[in-house]
Amino acid sequence: MSSEATVGAVEGPQRTLGQFALRFRVSGVLAFLILLSAGFALLRPQFLIPENLSAILSNAAILMIVAAAQAVILITRNLDVSVGSIMGFAAYLTADFAARNPGVGPALVLMPLAIGGALGALNGLLVSYGKVSPLIATLGTMSVYRGLTYVYARGQEVTSNRLPRWMIELADARLSGVPILVLLAAAVVCLLAAFLRFYPLGRRMYAVGSNPEASAFFGLRTQRIVLLAYVVGGVMCGLAGFLYAARVGTVTVILASGWELTSLAAAVIGGVSVTGGSGNVIGAALGAVVLATIDNGLVLLGVPEFWRMFIQGVAIVAAATADVVIATRIRRSLRVRRRLVRSAA
Amino acid sequence: MSRRLPQWELTLVVFTLVAAAWSATLSPYYLSLDQILNSTRQFVYPGILAVGLAVVVVLGEIDISLASTLAFGAVLFSKFSAAAAPIWLAVPIVVAACAALGALNGVLVARLGLPSLAVTLGTMGAFRGLAFILGSETGYTSFDDSYLYVGSEELLGSLPISFVLFCGVALAVGVLMRRTVFGRRCYAVGLNKEASWAAGIDVAQLKIQAYALAGGLAGLAALVWIGQYGSARGDNADGAILLVVTAVVLGGVDINGGRGGILGVVLALFLLGTMRNGMGLANVAGPTQTIVLGALLIAGVLRPAIFRAVARVYRLMFPRLADAPN
Amino acid sequence: MQRRSALLSGAAAIFAFALAFSGAGAKDSGFKIMMTPKWTGFPYFEAAARGGKDAADELGDQFVYAGADHADVTLQVETLQNFLTQKPDAIVLAAIDLNAVAPVLKQARKQGIVVTTFDADAAADARDMFFNQMSYKQAAKTMLDCALMDAPEGEVAFVAASPTSPNHSAHIKYMKEYIQNDPKYQVFKVVDTQYANDEDAKSYDVAINLMQAHPNLKVIISSSAVSAPAGARAIDASGHAGKVFSTGFALPSAIKTYLEDGSEKCFALWNPYELGYLATYATHLKLAGKLDLKPGTTFKAGKAGEYTVGEGGEIVYGKPLMFTKDTVDKAGF
Repeated sequence: MSSEATVGAVEGPQRTLGQFALRFRVSGVLAFLILLSAGFALLRPQFLIPENLSAILSNAAILMIVAAAQAVILITRNLDVSVGSIMGFAAYLTADFAARNPGVGPALVLMPLAIGGALGALNGLLVSYGKVSPLIATLGTMSVYRGLTYVYARGQEVTSNRLPRWMIELADARLSGVPILVLLAAAVVCLLAAFLRFYPLGRRMYAVGSNPEASAFFGLRTQRIVLLAYVVGGVMCGLAGFLYAARVGTVTVILASGWELTSLAAAVIGGVSVTGGSGNVIGAALGAVVLATIDNGLVLLGVPEFWRMFIQGVAIVAAATADVVIATRIRRSLRVRRRLVRSAA
Repeated sequence: MSRRLPQWELTLVVFTLVAAAWSATLSPYYLSLDQILNSTRQFVYPGILAVGLAVVVVLGEIDISLASTLAFGAVLFSKFSAAAAPIWLAVPIVVAACAALGALNGVLVARLGLPSLAVTLGTMGAFRGLAFILGSETGYTSFDDSYLYVGSEELLGSLPISFVLFCGVALAVGVLMRRTVFGRRCYAVGLNKEASWAAGIDVAQLKIQAYALAGGLAGLAALVWIGQYGSARGDNADGAILLVVTAVVLGGVDINGGRGGILGVVLALFLLGTMRNGMGLANVAGPTQTIVLGALLIAGVLRPAIFRAVARVYRLMFPRLADAPN
Repeated sequence: MQRRSALLSGAAAIFAFALAFSGAGAKDSGFKIMMTPKWTGFPYFEAAARGGKDAADELGDQFVYAGADHADVTLQVETLQNFLTQKPDAIVLAAIDLNAVAPVLKQARKQGIVVTTFDADAAADARDMFFNQMSYKQAAKTMLDCALMDAPEGEVAFVAASPTSPNHSAHIKYMKEYIQNDPKYQVFKVVDTQYANDEDAKSYDVAINLMQAHPNLKVIISSSAVSAPAGARAIDASGHAGKVFSTGFALPSAIKTYLEDGSEKCFALWNPYELGYLATYATHLKLAGKLDLKPGTTFKAGKAGEYTVGEGGEIVYGKPLMFTKDTVDKAGF
């Protein structure tokens, strides 16, 4: 659909324009974030103190990872509404395991990654090989995964005192003032962004999302690529679930329920197109920061709770509008450019 | 296309009958006309929302803000009731107001070209926020009896009026989709937006009308809500949209547009209702119900894939039998 | 002759016994009691259900526990409707929305079913009795007493589930009243009220944002048992331990670490197991005709002790438990 942001292996002026377009898409949400922050800062100067900014980022950290996961899947023209259930399942099983085996070390983190990957793979299999519509498939697995978590938990929750010390400390630790959670999230997002941009497999995901039929024509193994997208998304959700458990401490069965919509909102605000093929994970991560900024700013301003939902809803629509306006402008400028190039040739 | 549809609807009917039989074995209380009719109440307001959503989905779009529109409608009804306005005045105004909210969605999607999932994700929060702002903290409960009539009363002793309303709505919209120009255009646009536009259909106006219809139906669903639950508050129907979407997709309406119909949605609602009713009467644990319904959704849509896989195996095992006879 | 009269009087005695026991509603055991919580899977409600089951077992009744897996009004009403169809003798519930469940509960009462609420009430004319863990005023006072243990004076903020949750709103209303009028609590100043929807991540984030918005904040008081431990965690994680405190209602298992390491000083709750036991026991008594709901009546509910019926069918359980470093272990849940 929106092919202008597909990073193709084309040389010359179009390549720079492609890169420029990509950066432009991120700068849409970045501009939105800066405007928002400026607004809050003007009204409440304490918004800008480093401690507050750090608080916003650490509140956003885990959502950044989940939004990035959702973005990867959206880019392939699919979606995943089971992300919250994957997080919950991975987090609960891992926390319960850790509680029963007190001496377990950092290798524990492999467990939620594996669980998340497996659940994501199931989603991917349903969508790519079972040819089930992604909305239906993940609606179904959302219920199944959450239900399984319940059945496993049998009405118990895992309290923070039963989690390994190193896990809690990881969540609280700081590196020269910056919370480790934030650094971790940023690292994961950047790695993913690099993968999507510089690795052929990553670029193929954009291709599949832009035009699945054409991609299949060109010999791309679309089914495998979609499956991989879901697996990557699942692994990230597993990681996010683990970090959620470490951060909040008490692990309940309804952990992260509702995060499917929040991650979707973050991705949308971040310029990821729900029709596939464009946007990137950095934008989605910034979208998560926007949501956390709104929450923080509204508390600082003392805005009544009722208005918060309304403002967030308007912000999502505004972000989507801004994104489309920018995309249209890019498309128009590309068309002009292409005409110039062609006429010059 | 039309040959594929009855197959799905038929599957739903079979599934529903199986579910009913299974429910009868799970609990001795199930098999009673009174009970079954009474149990339909729970699915009336999601059903009306689902019918409206189906129209939008056939067009190739989606609307996840419908539950929020319902909440807004309910709170608006409470304002009318508090002002002692007669019901025949309140209903058209509230339905119109909700249709206006729907039209807003339509304008954002059709004229500004925004992706519908993103837009309705935003309006979902915005409309509910409006409902909260307009409503009161504790919720309004002193509704005049005339407001509660539709959602709470029965005809002939056991036929809930709300169920009758739902059947009427489903029939009307079903006819709209199959027999009118509007409906045919919706299918055309859902199948191929560009070709329809080239053929002279005002796609934007059609979308706005569809969204307005869905919004208006949400207002009607609000009337059922307040009668059934007797309270209007900003958090009404919070989370209901998942069930509504499930009903629409389970009903065979293609999420990409152009296929499926109201009949499928109605049958899907009956199936979901029967399963929930049967499991509820047997006091099956909530989580188990959730798993079963989720698995049902997946199994339902996997059916063609399973058939295909079975057919492939059959062809591999009996190649000669699979050849056409000469 | 004597044998015949003995036989006759024996038969008459048996006949008299049979008459006495076959009288309408003169059953005193074997009732079917059905309980539904706000949502299943939450240890608090699971404990109440265990209490209910034990009471029913003790009294020879049948006990069924069922419900949806998340707090959804529609699902709770559906559960209640399904309960109704199974013709129980009594329904015990913790209502998610006091008005939304009223229509179906009124229908139940019309059919002669005894309706009991616990933890969260339904509309007063939709139920026979309500077991309030403590009066809203008592709850407010308990939380403020805990706050006093944390800080002798200073700024406080409230965290509740949502502006539409009736018990949390009542708590906050009375806490504000006490802070304004009662000299003991006038040392506090209310600076904010935030809502976290009973979600732990949201509660954590809200606590962080509150500490940023109000640099002199001393205590975060949470009516929600989900928000209090999350708040404690947030305080710990952001390095504010010892400067800001979290208190309110919380399950002892969830806040034990914070009490033990000294970062928090006091939380409160009550025994949900006993609350469930009490509600079910009293329901049985009502079914057996042994409980009169006139205000002022006292009754004994098995091992839970003696209670007095208050106004409008409300019976206050009234046994707050304050958990400190020394007492948290004795809680046993």
